[in-house]
This record gives sequence, C-alpha cells and structure tokens, in this order.
Amino acid sequence: MPILQVKDVTKVYEGKVTNRALNQLSFDVEQGEFLAVMGPSGSGKSTLLNLISTIDRPTSGEIIFNDMKPQSLSPNELAYFRRRELGFVFQDFNLLPMLTVEENIILPLTLDQKPVEMMEERLENLAKRLDLTSFLHKRPNEISGGQAQKVAIARALIHEPTIILADEPTGNLDSNNSREVLELLSKINKEKRATIIMVTHDPIAASFCDRVLFIKDGEFFNEIHRDDRRQTFFQRILNVLSLLGGGQVGDLSSIRLP
Amino acid sequence: MTFHQFAYRNVIRNIRIYAAFFMASFFSVFVFFIYSMLMFHPATENGFLGNVPILWMVIAEIILVLFSWFFIFYSMKAFLEARAKEFAILLHLGMERRQLSKLIFLETIIIGSISIVLGIIFGFSFSKFFFMIVREILLLEDLPLYLSWEPFLLTIAVYLSAFIFISLFCFHFAPEKQIIDVFNGPKSIEVKVDYTKNKAILGIIFIVFSYCLALLTTRGTFEIFSVLIPIFITLGTYYFFAHTTQYFFARVKGKKNLYWKKSRMLPIAEQTFIFKNNGKMFFIMTMVSTLAFLSIGLLAAFSSYTSQYDKLNPLGLIYKGHIDNPYEHKHIQSIVSELEHKGLSYQLTQFTVLKQTSSFTNYGVEVFSESDINSLLISYGYPLINLSEGEGMFIPYSEDSIKKLSNRTVNTVLVENNVPIRIDQVYPKLIFPRTIVGLNAIIISDEDFKKLVHPYNGVPDVEPGYHLYTFDIPQWIEANEVGFAIQQKVAKEYLKDEYHLPYYFENAGLNYSYLLSTYSLLTLVGLLVAAVFLLAGGSFIYFKLHTNLEADKKKFDVLKRMGISHSELKSLVTKHLMPQFFLPWGVALFHSLFAFFTLQNLLRDFANISIVKEVVISFVLLILLQLIYFYLIRWRYLAHVRD
Repeated sequence: MPILQVKDVTKVYEGKVTNRALNQLSFDVEQGEFLAVMGPSGSGKSTLLNLISTIDRPTSGEIIFNDMKPQSLSPNELAYFRRRELGFVFQDFNLLPMLTVEENIILPLTLDQKPVEMMEERLENLAKRLDLTSFLHKRPNEISGGQAQKVAIARALIHEPTIILADEPTGNLDSNNSREVLELLSKINKEKRATIIMVTHDPIAASFCDRVLFIKDGEFFNEIHRDDRRQTFFQRILNVLSLLGGGQVGDLSSIRLP
Repeated sequence: MTFHQFAYRNVIRNIRIYAAFFMASFFSVFVFFIYSMLMFHPATENGFLGNVPILWMVIAEIILVLFSWFFIFYSMKAFLEARAKEFAILLHLGMERRQLSKLIFLETIIIGSISIVLGIIFGFSFSKFFFMIVREILLLEDLPLYLSWEPFLLTIAVYLSAFIFISLFCFHFAPEKQIIDVFNGPKSIEVKVDYTKNKAILGIIFIVFSYCLALLTTRGTFEIFSVLIPIFITLGTYYFFAHTTQYFFARVKGKKNLYWKKSRMLPIAEQTFIFKNNGKMFFIMTMVSTLAFLSIGLLAAFSSYTSQYDKLNPLGLIYKGHIDNPYEHKHIQSIVSELEHKGLSYQLTQFTVLKQTSSFTNYGVEVFSESDINSLLISYGYPLINLSEGEGMFIPYSEDSIKKLSNRTVNTVLVENNVPIRIDQVYPKLIFPRTIVGLNAIIISDEDFKKLVHPYNGVPDVEPGYHLYTFDIPQWIEANEVGFAIQQKVAKEYLKDEYHLPYYFENAGLNYSYLLSTYSLLTLVGLLVAAVFLLAGGSFIYFKLHTNLEADKKKFDVLKRMGISHSELKSLVTKHLMPQFFLPWGVALFHSLFAFFTLQNLLRDFANISIVKEVVISFVLLILLQLIYFYLIRWRYLAHVRD
C-alpha cells in the first residue's frame, strides 16, 4: 500500500499568462522510500512539492496520503496535518534567527503544544544521533551551513512525521557538507524507515536515493531505480539528464536518414 | 527614458511603497498648516483669540517644526532601509552613488511636493472646521476664515527645506553597505548580552520610588519633589526599557517549563529581540506619550474647573470691609452706579458679620444673622431657613464639608455675650465662595443675634467682625469690568507681605476671564503638543514594522509551511504586536496616572475640585484610540503576512 499517491495531478496557474505547471502527473511513493524528483528548471518540481505539502491545491487530480485526501480538509485541519504528518527541509535552511538551535529544533512541538518533558527527551535523542550537541545553544548565524542544514533536518524529524519533504537540501552547501547531509538523510531513511521526497538539481544528491523520478515540462518523463552500486546509478542518472537536455528525444537522428 | 522620468515613474507607479512615507509627510504638513492659519489669523494681531499670548503660539509652532523635522527624518530613514534591496539592484546595474543620491533626492522632492500641496489643500479645507472648534473652546464670538499668503509661504518654506535637507542628509550619512550584504539580507542578529542585573532592579526601584514620592507630595514638599520625580522617572524608565525587560526575558528563558510550554517560545524569543533592538526608542516613546497624556489630562482638568467655576463662585461681586471701613460708602456707590450704567440687573445684600469666641473650640467663630442670609437665599432662589432661639446652623465652606458637617452636633456658648447655641444642621448648598467666609461660620436666629452686644475678646488686635456686600448678578460674566479700580488696589496689596487695606473685593467675572485665557492657552498649546506626540508615538511603531515587514514575512512563510492555522497565526501576530504597542504606552499611562494623583492632592488643598472624572474620561478615550489604532495596524499587518 503506497503511503502517498499522486493521481493525474494537473496544476494550471491562471493569470495574465496561463501556465500549465503540471500535466496529468501520476506516481506512488511507498513507505520507507527515498525518492528524488529531478528535472530542468521550470519543469514543475517546486509546484509538485508545494502540492504535496498542501500549501497549494491541484487544479485537477488528487493526492492521497494513507487513504486520506488533504484537499477535503479545512484550512485549520490542513495546518494540523502539515505540522503532524510532514517535515520540511529547505534549501536556505529557514531557521528562525531569534531562536537558538535547540529552540529551532523543538519549534514544531511547541506549535503543537506538546509537553516539555517530551520535547527534552526527543531533543536529547536527536541531538545525539545527528551530532548536534556541541552547538545546541548557539544561534543560527553562529554556525556553518552544513550544521544549519543538520539542524533543519532535526527540526523536520522531531515530530516524527510520515513524510519528509526536502527542497534542494544541498543547494547551498559545499561538497563535504552536501555529502554529510545526504548520508544523514539516507541513514535516517534506513534506520527509521522514514519516507523522504527530495527535489534536487544535483545528480550526486539524487544518486543517494532509491528511485529517481524525472519530470519535464510538468509531465512524467522517466523513472530509474537504484542498483547495487552508487557509481553506476549516478551514471544512469546522468544519461537520463542528457536525454532530458536533448531537444528532439524520440525523433530520428538526421544521420540515420539516407 | 531620462533620469528625471525614471524618478517620476518610480514614485507614481510604486505609490503603494511610498504611501507610508507620504502619509507621514502629508499629516505633518496638514497639522502645521492648520496651526499656521490660526497663528496668522488677523484676529490674533488685535490680541483677541482669548488673550492667548502670541509668543506661546510661536513657541508651540517651533516645537512642532522641530518635531516634524525629526519625524520626517525618521520616516525617511525607515523608508530607505525598507528599499535597500531596490537600491542594491540599481548599484549592481552600475549606477553611481552620486546618481543614486540624486535619484533619492528627486523622488523625495516629488513626494514632498505632492504631500505639501495636498497637505495645504486639505489643511485649508479643514481650517474652517478647526476655527469653529477653537471658537467654541475659547468662547469667541467669531473666528472667520481668511485668505492670506503668510501661512502658505511659511508651510511651503519650512517643509520644502526640510525635504531638501533631510533627503541629502539621510543618504550621505547612511553607512555605506556592500551590495552583496544587502542582497543577502540582514543575517547577523545581535546576540550579546547588554543588560546588567543591578540596573534592571534599579529601574524598578527608581520607578516605584518616584511613584511613592508622587503619592506623598504635599504643598510643602511640592517644590523639591517636582524636580526629583521627573529625574527619577526618566532614569527609571530608561533602565526599565534598556535593562529590566531584558532581565525579565532572560529569567523567563531560563525556566524551560515556563518558556517551552504551550506556544510561548516563539513570542517570547521575538519580544526579547524587539526590546533589545528598540529599547531606546520605546523609552523615547514612553516619555513622549507621558507628555501627551499629561497635556490632555491637564486640559480636561482645567475644563472641569472652568465649568464648575460658577458653582464654586455663586456670587458675581463681593465686597468685604472692616466695620469702620471709611471707603465703604464710596465704593458701594461706585459699584452700583457702574452696574446700573452697564444695565446689568443685580441683587445687593448687606451682611453684618460678628466675630465671637466659641466655648466649644475656644477659637473665633463668624456669626451671621438669619434674616441677612435669607435675603441672599431669596435672590439665589434657594430654600429659606428658619431658626428659633438657641439654634444654629453651619455655613459650608466646600462641597465636601456639607457631608462632614451634616452629622455634627455642637453645643457651644458664644462666650462674650453668654449666648448658648446648639448647632445641629448645615445649609445643604454652598452660599459663599471659600475665600470670603472663614472655616468656622454659623448662622443664628435674629433674636440671638440681637443679644450680641459685647465685641470679640480679641479686639483691638483682631477686627470684631466685618461688613459684607454681595451682588448676585445673573449675567456675571459681563460684569467683569465692574469695580476694576478697586480690584487693582486689592491685587496690588495682595503682592505685599501683609494685607493692610480695610476692604477686600472679588469679581468672579474678572477672575473667570483670567482663568479662561490661561485655559485657552493651555488648550491651544496642549492640544497641538498632544496631537503631534500621539501621532509621532504611533508612527514610530508603524515605521518600525514597515521596515521589518520583509523579514517578518519570511518568518511567517516558514511557519505557514510548517503548519500553523489561521487563528494561531492571528494570536502569534497579536502577541508579536501587543507588547510594543501597549508596554511603552501603558507605562506612560501609569506615569501620568500618578502625576494626576499628585495634582489631585494639590488641587484639593486649594481649589477643592475633583479632576478624577475628567482624567478617567480622557484616559478611556485615549485607550479606545490606541485600541483602534492597534486593531487597524494588526489588520494591515495580517493582510501583508497572509499573502
């Protein structure tokens, strides 16, 4: 039973210029899967993520979480749904500057008015596991980007969400920090069987996932699964990307014509 | 597109961004122009306008100019800060700083000119309305609208120069930031601790101490305390906003059970920063609002005093003289003929008041006869009294004393003539103003009064009694020039160390006109100061919010994505705005409440009026005003944050 079903989702932005951002897109995500969504700029990745995170509604089609349709919820219920079932990791971390690191991590719990003992217990566990203990009392502007993204991941995990949505989590990080963050995500995915959907540009980041979904111009383009070796998986991702870049995919190459 | 066109289109097409700055400028021009219209009014030159000295109005106008300069400077700074990103793009595209400063200058001149023109137009159309209010307050007969070039020229000159100087000044003194820093946004937030526990506690101690002083103020200590209290209040308020609030937040943050519980964490962390970064501004706002509240409350108190004046002074003219006063006949003659010359109706009553020693207190008591009092009561239209032999009645000296004396029964003997009197009632209304009759005054029956043949024991050191002439004049305000010569002599004698004249004269109408002119002055100056200060106090918050809107928006975006319902967002915004709106303002309210408590104590001593009602009414109005302002700003803020 998939944990998330995206069924024939179409999103049209009305305005002076009508823009079809997503067109009849369908896919499923299984419990415990680490899915990457790739595609060139403007392919509708961010729109897709916004739809899944329920801050935007599809024009047609439906998105189903565990047999539940968020579209039918009221705005208040949606807010509760987001803060209990979803965890977010952003490209520019979005830590609140006036809160310390530990306060940023427990923010989702305070929004939900959970007991203080629970916050302390979960904070301690997470800090140990993600190795945040040394800078728990610092402010977000006193730590490095990699540390900040780890804090953001801790914030996304503290309320034990069903799905973690990551929007270019390595977009602002150097290669070392990127690798650490990606390894952390895949470790969480393996150990806690957390479901992660990650939108990314970066083929290296995508190669850490179980499955990569490619979309182009709002439509499903291709899908590849991970195999035993990350290197070959990476190579296959690159192949698909180069196909994505080519203008006339599926057309006959002029050389082959007499 | 030329450079000038660029500046013009910038302003015209982005009118929404410029709206806040425009409104601030527009409003100060508006207030300034109306006030100038009043100052240059032809009636003021002839010394009408309720005897308000023109000098005071000029001083008020200068304060207004200085304040509006500061005000424009502040809003300009906030405005430029809010647009930093836009300027960074221009610099990035290769604009010189010189060109940028020219652009800002042009834009400011465009907005400035529009706000000057609109402010003057609106000011001129509202000035008739303002004149009508002033006419009502000052009881003037007529205050017509007029057209003259002076107010226009003054307003244009003052504000145009303000805009020119400030736009040059603001840009050149702004710290030169790297473009990259502007693009990345304000990342670093001050985290260093800058409060000390001692000063935090000292702030509370100073404020409490000055409140205690205010409560303990009496007439004797007034002079010292009126210097001490403002000093301590200012210091205390400064420490309160710079240290005490920080200390308080730090203490709360130390207790996780308090700090992390419910959804308190975010609002408290926010407030820590707001108060840390704006402590000094909140301090200024508090002091400014205190001044505004004080002037409003004083006005209300004064207006109550003037409206109660005829109740406290039921008699138009009072002439009091020694029994052997040689001028008596001449003076009364001249007063009567003056009254008749003016065609004012009056009721003259003559009293002979004798002083006797009361065996009950061993002090002197002033004794009135029943028939004398009755003839005055007839002219008042009050109920008459009827006393039989041996009965007496207190004459109240104030409204409060009526209640106090009504429960008292005194058996006494007028020692000099051995007349026993039982005093068990009080006349239920004020008959004389309190300066005329002593605290110990009684009425006895005519039969008893005839028995008083032996004079007071204190003679000849103390006068054995006095003659009192009272003129009850229905149109007492118009009688303000009657007996002016006598009044002058009395006033001169009053300035000497001892009062030697054998007579005393009081003209309620004349006193009232003096009172009224002081009141008018206070009204004009006070209203203006209050209006400008309140406006400024409110705008400071507005601009602060306006500048931080982008950063706040980003924060709320994160929260919305994380999942925060509408009602939670609303309560978060309320908690975000509430302290900065109401803490400085509430402290100011407290300061002025204690000030009025002191004032009430002092007033009870000499004028016996209560200002409680007026102060409460004006404060309730102020609270309503602030609440409306708060909800207005919250509404706009929510609308910005939500989309």
